[in-house]
Amino acid sequence: MESEAPAEAGQQDAVGHHALEVSGVSKAYGPTVALEHADLSLQAGRVLALLGENGAGKSTLVRILSGVVSPDTGEMMVHAAPYKPRSITEARGSQVATAFQELSLVPNLSVAQNLLLPRLAKSTLGLVSRRQVLTRGEEILSRHGLSRIDPDLEVSQLPLSDRQRIEIARAIENAGRVLILDEPTAALAETDWIFEQIIKARQRGVAILYISHRLAEVREICTSATVLRNGRSIATVGLEQATDGDIFEMMVGHRVDTTRQVAPKSARDPKPRVQVSDLQGEALNGVSFEINQGEVLGVAALEGQGQRALFRCLAGLTAAQGGTVQIDGKIAGYRSPRQAMHFASGVSYLPEERKTEGILTGLTAATNIVLPFLPRIAKMGFISARSEEATARRAAETVEMDKRYLSFDIADLSGGNQQKALMGRTLASGAQTLLLFDPTRGVDVGTKESIYTAIRQFAEAGGSVLFYSSELPEIVQLADRCLVLYDGRIAREFSGDDIAEHRLIAAMVGHSETEAA
Amino acid sequence: MIDTTAPLAPSAARQVSAATLLRRVVQGGGMILFIYLALYAYYGAIEPRALRAHSIADLMNNTVPLALAAAGLTFVVLNRGFDLSVAGVISICNVTLAVAPLEGPGGAALSALMCLAIGATVGLVNGLLVGYARLQSIAATLATMIICQGIALVILRAPGGFVSEWIVYEMTDRLWGVIPVSGLVVAAVLLVWILIRRTDFGVSIYAVGADEQAAAMSGINVRRVRAGAYVCAGMLYGLAGFMLSAQTATGNPNSGAPLLLLAFAAVALGGTSLAGGRGGVFASIMGAATLMLLQKVLFSSGISSFYTGMFQGSVLILAVVFSGLIARIGERK
Repeated sequence: MESEAPAEAGQQDAVGHHALEVSGVSKAYGPTVALEHADLSLQAGRVLALLGENGAGKSTLVRILSGVVSPDTGEMMVHAAPYKPRSITEARGSQVATAFQELSLVPNLSVAQNLLLPRLAKSTLGLVSRRQVLTRGEEILSRHGLSRIDPDLEVSQLPLSDRQRIEIARAIENAGRVLILDEPTAALAETDWIFEQIIKARQRGVAILYISHRLAEVREICTSATVLRNGRSIATVGLEQATDGDIFEMMVGHRVDTTRQVAPKSARDPKPRVQVSDLQGEALNGVSFEINQGEVLGVAALEGQGQRALFRCLAGLTAAQGGTVQIDGKIAGYRSPRQAMHFASGVSYLPEERKTEGILTGLTAATNIVLPFLPRIAKMGFISARSEEATARRAAETVEMDKRYLSFDIADLSGGNQQKALMGRTLASGAQTLLLFDPTRGVDVGTKESIYTAIRQFAEAGGSVLFYSSELPEIVQLADRCLVLYDGRIAREFSGDDIAEHRLIAAMVGHSETEAA
Repeated sequence: MIDTTAPLAPSAARQVSAATLLRRVVQGGGMILFIYLALYAYYGAIEPRALRAHSIADLMNNTVPLALAAAGLTFVVLNRGFDLSVAGVISICNVTLAVAPLEGPGGAALSALMCLAIGATVGLVNGLLVGYARLQSIAATLATMIICQGIALVILRAPGGFVSEWIVYEMTDRLWGVIPVSGLVVAAVLLVWILIRRTDFGVSIYAVGADEQAAAMSGINVRRVRAGAYVCAGMLYGLAGFMLSAQTATGNPNSGAPLLLLAFAAVALGGTSLAGGRGGVFASIMGAATLMLLQKVLFSSGISSFYTGMFQGSVLILAVVFSGLIARIGERK
């Protein structure tokens, strides 16, 4: 019953009708102004992009629109009726729903239960019926092209990409009028599925707000974009007329050079730092490679080709089932990230999922940064607040993180700033080998540039970097060499100018003959 | 597992087998159930009288107050909370029944309702403090426990008084000489739990315990769920106080205190995670039963009661380590 309601409501609205009007919305947390003045207009059946740097106020605006927080000032209208949601449930009542960037699925419930929360399907007795919950869950999954997912599976058992898909499917299910997608592709390696879902929702007359840092995909699915900067909505532009440079300029306030390429390496005799031979594991079927000193080695792969297992193995989080890893010629025997950090010249890992693996909420950003190497900055076992701050400050500088954020609880920072803090921590750890898993996930253009610079500088100074990225341009821009993983094996290896997007893609999908052409 | 190519006929693929049904009732309590049965077998071997209806009822009567307290505590622990007020509620209920004994079945029913009301009231206060005022659960319930202990002392200064005879005899009796009444009380609580599990509230308890923020973002009213869990818990503590009074037949303003830590031990022994979101009431009841059975076994083996605590603690550690190992093996598959 309930599931049909959104569709009906959608059909009544002609495309182009004003679905959501936001004017002059602001929000401050104490003295910190998170959003100063935002205007936004969504039309039924259209997709609008919301662009902005980290800390520009995107997350706050999303929270306001979703009913998580109430704005201090400003007005919102949904389908010409005042819209003042005080909770997510109330927002859903107005048929506004959000797929959150940090994913709002409950890990210990099944996929079907999560899809139906907070009201599960009941039998005639008024009790939750397991079977009906599963049936309804299955219906929803198949409606969104996800029937391969078992609705009875506990969410914690799913890979991040499928969790993101379920988050999106649930939002679409609840969004009869307005759908908000906050970084919906952060954990997805390809966009086919999500674009298909967006087009379907658009045809029902749903207005969609699409938030992403990936301009290429924004151009593909959105017609216009609203740009936020420093908590203010700067402008709304048609994407056909604006160049990437124009948009970056609006976001950052000045021009950004995005075409910089890796300078060809000067011939120096390579000294291997990490030697991996025939590594076997859960999703790894014999992987061998070397990373030299001063080298940035990229890993490209579609989802689930073993990249996660590779990184977790090298980081000491999971034990390899076969093969060896040598750091500086010593066989690595570490069994935890902590031991890894102190093994030989040190190995430091930036995890994939910052919410559960990276940050420690309740502590300040500064403490989060210095935590792994507290013993190093401690004097006789005590840590002075000043040396903690100084160390954190230096780390923050390497990733161009605003110093005023250091004293905040890390949980209160935007996703991008959290990522910066973690990146700063990884760089500052003193380890000579960095394992970076999607280091710029959910990070804006300006920050990306500073993270790239930091990685390059680290390599210039003789450090070794292994990084995986779901964004190919990033690998092209940054890597000295690149491995393409396919089915737990290294399908191809590219180096120097051979690293080009089309070559990588061909190898990623398992096509190995392209090099001859 | 499920045939995804035929989404229109899913029910056929989901015929619920007896085994899955049992698994759902037991809810991760299989481990503790196994320990209990093994221990009981050993008990039966060293003490032939153990299998008589009289001994079973005796053991059951000893177990029930702790089992109910642990069952109540489970509601809160599943929510990733702590609840120390269990000791206070049991004490208040006990002294109330000793100071104002109401005779006959009607009086017993009224007494039981009074206990439930006392528990619900304390639970509501806890729920408001933790759920709505967002106090830390240890601090808030420590405060309510101290207040309740104080109230119990005001009602009855020193051990004494008499619980009504009807409660003392009937609640510890056996139906048709076989089925212990106290066992029926536990069975009724289990039944209610199974029903609660099949409500939105029941599912929400697990969701809030696992990830409060995600639960809130999924549309769950976290505050109400949390408060509800404390109220349910309080009512079960009240019932525990009622059953304890039937056992002791007298009032003692400190009667709840010994049950406090044992209740936590029973919950942990049952495998309910103190980090929230995992476990169930059945497992906690079995945890409580195991602790009490262990006492009996040690007594029958001629080991001084001074050693009981050492054994109980060791069993707790072993059970937690062991269930952790089993969980890890399960995850690897």
